[in-house]
Amino acid sequence: MSGSELSRRQTMAWMLAASAALATGPHAKIARAATGPVPAAQGYGTDPNLMQPKAPWPLTLSPAQREEIRIAADLIIPGDEHSPSAGSLHIDSFIDEWVSAPYPRQQADAKIVLAGLDWLDAESKRRFGTNFAGATDAQRRQIFDDIAWRGKVAAGTGEGAEFFGKLRQLVMAGFYTLPEGIADIGYKGNSPIMGDYPGPSPEALAHLRGKLKELGLPDVTT
Amino acid sequence: MMRDFEPDVVIVGSGASGGMTAYVLAQAGIKVLMLEAGRHYDPTTETPMLNWERDAPLAGVSTPDKPFGFYDATVDGGWQVPGEPYTMAPGSKFKWWRARMLGGRTNHWARHVPRFGPYDFKPYSRDGLGVDWPVSYDDVAPYYDKVEQLIGVHGKTSGLENQPGSNYFLPPPKPRVPELLYAAAAKSLNIPCVESPRAILTRDMPHPHAPRSKCFFASPCGRGCSIGAAFQTPTSLLPMAMGTGNLRIVTDAMVHTVKTDRDGRATGVLYFDKKTGREHFAKARVVVLAASACESARLLLNSGIGNSSGQVGRNLMDSTGTDLAAHVPALEGRPRYNEDGNSQEHLFIPWWLYKEQKAGLLDFPRGYHFEIGGGFDMPDGDFGLGGNEDGYGAKLKEDARRYYGAVVWISLRGEMIPNANSYCEIDPTVKDRYGIPVLRFHWKWSDHEIRQIAHGQKTARALFDKMGARVLTPDKPPEQAIADGGVIIHEVGTTRMGDKPSNSVVNQYCQSWDVPNLFVVDGGVMASQAHKNPTLTILALSWRGTDRMVEQMRKHEI
Repeated sequence: MSGSELSRRQTMAWMLAASAALATGPHAKIARAATGPVPAAQGYGTDPNLMQPKAPWPLTLSPAQREEIRIAADLIIPGDEHSPSAGSLHIDSFIDEWVSAPYPRQQADAKIVLAGLDWLDAESKRRFGTNFAGATDAQRRQIFDDIAWRGKVAAGTGEGAEFFGKLRQLVMAGFYTLPEGIADIGYKGNSPIMGDYPGPSPEALAHLRGKLKELGLPDVTT
Repeated sequence: MMRDFEPDVVIVGSGASGGMTAYVLAQAGIKVLMLEAGRHYDPTTETPMLNWERDAPLAGVSTPDKPFGFYDATVDGGWQVPGEPYTMAPGSKFKWWRARMLGGRTNHWARHVPRFGPYDFKPYSRDGLGVDWPVSYDDVAPYYDKVEQLIGVHGKTSGLENQPGSNYFLPPPKPRVPELLYAAAAKSLNIPCVESPRAILTRDMPHPHAPRSKCFFASPCGRGCSIGAAFQTPTSLLPMAMGTGNLRIVTDAMVHTVKTDRDGRATGVLYFDKKTGREHFAKARVVVLAASACESARLLLNSGIGNSSGQVGRNLMDSTGTDLAAHVPALEGRPRYNEDGNSQEHLFIPWWLYKEQKAGLLDFPRGYHFEIGGGFDMPDGDFGLGGNEDGYGAKLKEDARRYYGAVVWISLRGEMIPNANSYCEIDPTVKDRYGIPVLRFHWKWSDHEIRQIAHGQKTARALFDKMGARVLTPDKPPEQAIADGGVIIHEVGTTRMGDKPSNSVVNQYCQSWDVPNLFVVDGGVMASQAHKNPTLTILALSWRGTDRMVEQMRKHEI
C-alpha cells in the first residue's frame, strides 16, 4: 500500500488518536459528557462530494468505549499470518462513525452497541471484579464463549448475545473493507483490465468443473 | 436570457429520451433548448471510479440520503427528492425514484437493454389483456439497430423465441463462475441462460465531441462512468448534440406548465430558475416532454392539456420484482480471481415458457426474466458471510475465507398488465416547494402478477436446489414477496401511445393527439411493459418519433 492509497478512515483514525490523547487531559470530562444526548446530527445530504467523501456528523464514543471496542475487536478478529488484528487497524474509528451517524439503521445499532458495551463491563465486574478493559484475555474469552456461538448462548445472556452479533458484524464490515482485510479474503477486483475481460482463471474453472460433477450438473465451462 | 439563442424546440428533461431527441434534432440542424430540473453534472470529474468503500461514510452502505449507497451516481434524488413530495392514496404503496441532475436516471441504471420482441408489441392479440401497440416489432427494429450502433451494446444473439438479437452487438464479456453454475443448473432444468445485452462498451467508440472508452472491468456502473463505457447521456448524446452548436442546455430549470395558444397549439413552457426563484417562459415551435413517465404526466395534468382521452396518468406500470439470495456450498473456498467483470451480470435467464403459456399450461399471462449475480463482490459496510457468521477468533477468520464469494442472488423482473387501480393523478391539496401540485399514486397488483411471482419463486428455488444451495431469503407468500410498485424503477404507460385519440395520449410517433406540436417521448408512451427493461425501447421510440417531428417541421406541418 503506497502513501496515496491510505484510506480516509485510516487518516481519520490517526487524527482521532491524536485528539483522544488530548481528551485524557483536563477536557476528558467534556469528551465523556458528549456521549449523553447530543443535538440531532446532520447526514451527508443528497448531493455529497463523492470524490472527497466525508462523514459530517460528530463522533460520540468516549475514549473508554473506543478502547473497549478495540479490545473486543482484537479478540473477534485476531492477528495471524494472513493479516493483523482488527483492533490494531483502528476498527473503533469505523464503529464510532457508524454508531454516531444520524440515520435510523445506525441509530438502532447504536442503542444495541452502547447498551452492550455497558453490559460487557457490568458482566466483567460481576464475574471478575473489573471492567472489560481490566480483565485478562482469558477472562474476556469466558464471557465471549457464553454469547458468541450459535446454539450455545448461555442462559440469561441474551442481551449480550444480540450485542455480540451486532459488534461482530460491524467489526467484520470495518475490517474486510480495509486493504488488510481485502487481501486476507482475496478480493482481486477494483483493478482495471486493459484488454477483454479474461473470465475465470484455469484453476477457478477446474474447481467449478469438479463441483458440477459432484452436483450431477452438465459441464458448461467449454 | 435566451436572446442569443432562439430555439425551435424545447425539451423538458435530459435523460434517455430527452438526450436522444436532442441528438436527432441537433443533427438535423434544428435549434434545441433543453431544460433540466436538476443541477449540471459531469461524470468525467464527478465519478468515484475505483474508490474503495472504506473511504465512503459508513463504508458506503445505503442510507436515506443515498438509498443505493454513498457512491451511487444519483444526485438530489432517490425515493424522495428534498422539497418535492408525492402522495399515495390510502392502501396504495408506490415508490417513485427520481434524480435531479443532468442526464437524469441514465446516470444510475443497470444498462440491461433487451429488445422487445414481436409478441411484446401485440400483447392484446396474444392473450386479450391490455392493449396492442400501434407499432409492430418490424416498425421499431430499424431504430433498435440504430440505437445499438449509436450507444454501444454488448451481447450475443440467442435465437430464442421472442428474444430478438442484433447484428450490432459488441463482444460480450466471458461468464464468471457463479453464472456458469447458474447456467449448468438451468440447463439441467431446460431453462436457457444466455448472454445479457448491456449498454456497456467492450470496444472504444471514438467521437470528436464524445469519445468513449471501452470498459476496463472495474468500478460499479451504478456510480456512473467517467470513461463513458457505461451509457449515460452526459458522456454521449448530450456532448454529441452540443458539438453541432444546435443544443443549449439550461440546468436547475423546473418546468411546471406547457402553455398553449387560442388554437390549442403549444407555445412554450414556463419554468422556475431554481437558483434565483424567478419564473421564465421558453418559447418554441415544438414542445417535447421527456421528463420521465410520471413527471411528464404531471406536467400535462397541471397544464390541463393533451388529455381528451382521459388516459394521462392512467395505465401506470412497473416491472414486477422479487429477489432471492442463497448460500452455495459448491462456491465455498474456491480459487480467487478478479470476478468484477462489467459489474453487471454477464448472463441472464430470459423468459422461456411461451409455448407452455400458449398451450394453457400456466396460470398467469406474460413473462418474467431472472437477473443473476453474486460471488466475489467488493466488500462494503454490509459485508457478511450469508448467515454463516458464528463465534469469533481464528475460526471466524477461517470462515470468512471459506464463505466469501459463496452467496448468490436471483432478481425476478416480470411483466405487469395495466389495470384500472394503478395510476397517478394530481393531489388536490399538496404542492411542492415551488408551489406546483404534486402527484398522488394509486397502486394495486392484480392476480396476474401475484401468480407470476409465485411461479418465479418456485423456479428460483428449483434452480437453487440444483445448485445444492441453501436459500437465505425467508419464504414469503407471493403477495408479500412482490416488491412495491415503482421499486423496480421501470414506470411506464402514463401517456401511452395508441392508434386512436379516444384511448391513448399520443400517436405512434409520440405526438399528442390533441396538441400536434407537443411530443411526449419518455417511457410514458409505452403501451405495455413486457418484462424487459424499458430504456432501449424508450431510445428507439423517441428516435422514431423525432424523425417524424423533423419531417413535419420541414414540411411546416408543425
